[in-house]
Amino acid sequence: MDRNQITKWLKAPAKMANKYSLHAIYFCTGCGIIEVPPVITARWDAERFGVIPVATPRQANLFLITGYVSVKTLRAIIRTYEQMLEPKYVIGFGSCPINGGMYWDSYNTIKHLDKYIPVDGWIAGCMPRPEAIIVAVTHLWTLIDKDMANGYVKYRENYEYYRRNQELALGKLEWPPLYPTE
Amino acid sequence: MESMVAKITQIILSPVLALIVGVFFLGLARKIMARIHWRYGPPLIQPVIDMIKLFYQKGVSHGRIFDLGIILSLAGSIVVVLFLPFGRIAPLSNSGGLLVILYMMLLAPLGMALSGGQGANPNISIGISRKLILSLGYEAPLLLILLAVMTHYKTISIVEVVSAQQSTSWSIISFPLFLSGLSYFLILPAILGIRPFDVSSAPQEISSGPMAEYGGKYLALATIEHAFVLFISIALFVNLFLGGAANPFIFFVKMLVVFVLGLCVNAVFPRFRIEQAIKYLWKWPTLLAFVSLIIIMAIRS
Amino acid sequence: MSLEILLIIAFGGALFTYLVGKVSYKGRDFLAVAISLALVAFVACLYGKAGEETFYYGFLGLNLVLRLNMLSWFFAIAISSLGALCTIFSLSYMKARERTDFYFLMMLLVNAAMLGIVLAGDLISFYIFWEIMSWSAFLLISYNRGPALAAGMKYIIMSIIGSVCFLVGMLSLYVSFDTLNISQIASVIGSASSGYILFILTVFGIAFGIKNAVLPFHTWLPDAHSEAPAPFSAVLSGILIKMGTYGFLLVLYVIVGLKLFLGLGSGIFSFHSVLCLLGAVTIIIPTFIAVLQTDAKRLLAWSTIGQAGYIILGIAFGTNLALAGGIFHFFNHALFKALLFFAVGAVEFRTQTRDLDSLGGLAKKMPVVFIATLVGICALIGVPLTSGFVSKWLIYKTLILEGSPFLAFFALAGTWGTILYSYKLIHNVFLGQLPEKYKTVEKAPFSMQLPVVVLSVAILLFGILPGIPLKVIDLVGVSFGFEILNVTLRGIVSETGTLNTINIFSAVLVAAALVWLVFRSTTKSVPVTQEDSYAAGAHTPVDKYHYTVEFYNPLQKMIEPFLRDVIDEFYYWIASSVRSLASGVRRIYSGDVGNYVMYIILFLSLLIFVQMKWKVW
Repeated sequence: MDRNQITKWLKAPAKMANKYSLHAIYFCTGCGIIEVPPVITARWDAERFGVIPVATPRQANLFLITGYVSVKTLRAIIRTYEQMLEPKYVIGFGSCPINGGMYWDSYNTIKHLDKYIPVDGWIAGCMPRPEAIIVAVTHLWTLIDKDMANGYVKYRENYEYYRRNQELALGKLEWPPLYPTE
Repeated sequence: MESMVAKITQIILSPVLALIVGVFFLGLARKIMARIHWRYGPPLIQPVIDMIKLFYQKGVSHGRIFDLGIILSLAGSIVVVLFLPFGRIAPLSNSGGLLVILYMMLLAPLGMALSGGQGANPNISIGISRKLILSLGYEAPLLLILLAVMTHYKTISIVEVVSAQQSTSWSIISFPLFLSGLSYFLILPAILGIRPFDVSSAPQEISSGPMAEYGGKYLALATIEHAFVLFISIALFVNLFLGGAANPFIFFVKMLVVFVLGLCVNAVFPRFRIEQAIKYLWKWPTLLAFVSLIIIMAIRS
Repeated sequence: MSLEILLIIAFGGALFTYLVGKVSYKGRDFLAVAISLALVAFVACLYGKAGEETFYYGFLGLNLVLRLNMLSWFFAIAISSLGALCTIFSLSYMKARERTDFYFLMMLLVNAAMLGIVLAGDLISFYIFWEIMSWSAFLLISYNRGPALAAGMKYIIMSIIGSVCFLVGMLSLYVSFDTLNISQIASVIGSASSGYILFILTVFGIAFGIKNAVLPFHTWLPDAHSEAPAPFSAVLSGILIKMGTYGFLLVLYVIVGLKLFLGLGSGIFSFHSVLCLLGAVTIIIPTFIAVLQTDAKRLLAWSTIGQAGYIILGIAFGTNLALAGGIFHFFNHALFKALLFFAVGAVEFRTQTRDLDSLGGLAKKMPVVFIATLVGICALIGVPLTSGFVSKWLIYKTLILEGSPFLAFFALAGTWGTILYSYKLIHNVFLGQLPEKYKTVEKAPFSMQLPVVVLSVAILLFGILPGIPLKVIDLVGVSFGFEILNVTLRGIVSETGTLNTINIFSAVLVAAALVWLVFRSTTKSVPVTQEDSYAAGAHTPVDKYHYTVEFYNPLQKMIEPFLRDVIDEFYYWIASSVRSLASGVRRIYSGDVGNYVMYIILFLSLLIFVQMKWKVW
């Protein structure tokens, strides 16, 4: 842990704070959520990394998409992602968000989550072990340090692309566009 | 002139010290709870890291009252700190005493209730309604306790209560007031809003209640306000029942002891429902405080 | 001579307005407002002048006396200013209604009668004005027809019972002392026995207690105040109730006098401690009943009963701080209760409903009314910086320092109940989600915004500089025989601690400014619409995302069984048993002449039997 480097802190407090205080929204999107309670309780204690679960997207800046994404869940995922506050990071957990995984053939799941919301990192596995979440968090720290974890910026810049994909998959969306085009 | 300068330094120093102590208590709370749960827990400065992150986040605002409500709530808490003696630092303690504190403590939940109301979310409204009902629950014994203290020492100024204790003995071991002290200790978790009484901001049930739409700087200010409320409740207990202190360090040590005891209760208890909480608060603590007040009245006449 | 002119303007103006109204509406509106404002100016010019004028009308051999002293002036300025604001509010509230001439006549008549009450120097003119006030109020309460008729009937019956008690007391005083002039009675009452004084106080206490809605006599108030038209509800709650307070002050302090009042009885059974206890119970129970209400005006009506308990407690307690607190609370209550009734009236005018379960989110549509309601709520609770804080603080302080912690506990617990129902009122009407059907509601008209803004400014002004009314109240207390309080512009300096509202005000302002600076200098926040609220990943459901029904559900389930209105049921039981007794008696009149002949023969035989047996005559 590089927490003791005061000079790094003083030069970029925003980066330090974003790294060491990732609040994950406690939204169980799929089957992978079974791996999360051991991570946040006494066995693998994610709180010492600054990761705690919070109840609303307004207080969260990390979104863990755990497991497969069905079409119905995609609606809730997009809404939750848009209600989160910037800067925000998404980690796809499991093989299903990457390329469909076990449900590559199903009519009801999303095969590539990347087309609908921007994802900063993936964890492959069916299910990955809980330690993989902690390793992913440390990798996310490195990305934040190098300014490479900018999924939310990509979302803002390519919003029409994402919105078109969302409408193709879900039909009409009840909420207005997050970044209205002039 | 000198007393003016001293007063101004005290006025500036008091909220700053309260903030430092409050934030330290927040970090200490997470660490001690983690250790009780056989985990390691975050570092002690984790609340500071959280607040820095929150100040850099872009929050959402639901309107002007949403903004002003949280500002008012925090301003109310800061002003209460000015009226509370902290060791020898007691800037405005001569303007009104306990009643003003009781009243200014109203501003904090009121501000949050107003700003939450504009959030247009039933989770917020349910959280606020629970918070107000819980406040009603602990106010009944708290009023009896404060009235017992005020009647016993025949004053409404906290500074005089502290100096009376320094000449005789701590209230909590003096004859009629030990019942009141016991009652106050029983309702202290309700005033602090920690388990088993954290029903108003239950993350699992009502998505953090009044803080459901707070993000970014709003949540940071709400956390700061929580730190101040922690400081105020425990400082009031130490001033009224544990004898205050002659200097801030001993005061801080006393606050630490009380806080750690409260934390041990917080770490192992589940959450009461609101009806259970009110039944608990209106039964034994109210009875103890009432008996104490009757004894004091009987002694006086 | 000036007092007579005042009353002639008041009463004559009412009649003149009615006549002008038959000719033109605009003229009537203008005249009504002009007369009310002229009354305010007149009363304000009378400040500091004291005097007594006697009129030898030879009415039953009695003289009618009009009198002005500091107490009368204080009440008169409150009556006239509130009346003026109500008339301004009524201009747009009564725009498209029927019988508006009658409404304005009654409204001005009620104000004139109340002015007459406080200027009356002897009991017979007091009684005349009291009766005029009572029945014109009754006519206005039943203005809306429908359920208002039953409410008005309940009000007038209880008011008449009160007036009859007043009449009994007045007659007994005349028989004992051969005069009805208040100052003359005050000088000779020292010679009466304490049993007689107890009788007088009880009889007058019932009369004024019914008007002031002290606990056993309060049952007319919720119906009457919720069914009356909104500006008149403001006058009812704000000032008409306080005529009972004026009566209490008159009887307790002017007629009977401080020493005799406090010396009546001993210990816990003395008259003054029973009155304090009634006041304390009147604070608690109606406040918690108000928490359970779903009709906005009914909630405010129960709240009025609760706050009247504070006033009675302050007046009955017997120290100068308590009296100052009680009288100041009367003034404050007039201000903020009128403001709240005006606000609810404005909302009812625009949305045609006052049901708390279905309103919501109107803060964006009616911002001026919302801010004013916020100030009114803060004054009702007693937040520092508003005038409600000063009056309540005085009452608490004297209760604690004089060693009555149980009464202080009732008073303080009442404040917490007040917080609960005030928040329910402002949340269910102004905050939360705006329903679809109210998305086209417009702002309140200017003549409704003006009184509301004036009252908020007055509340804040008297909260920051309470010395202005406190000086007048202190003079009133001195005239009753209390010792003088040390009043400065910024508060009261007394032996144990200063109430320095300027300190508190500047502290809150500086703290708020500091926090606002921190707030502004950090990342700017993104404004979002009401629909963009957390709904667990779904879009917020339209019209269903507002928590209003049973806002305090857990508390309601716990305390509702204890708050059944047994007094109301008791009164209804009396009424129904009288009715069944009467219908039993009616059966004697069978309409059959043969029965009547039998009655005559039976009665004559009874008389003959009595004469034969006992030789009575």
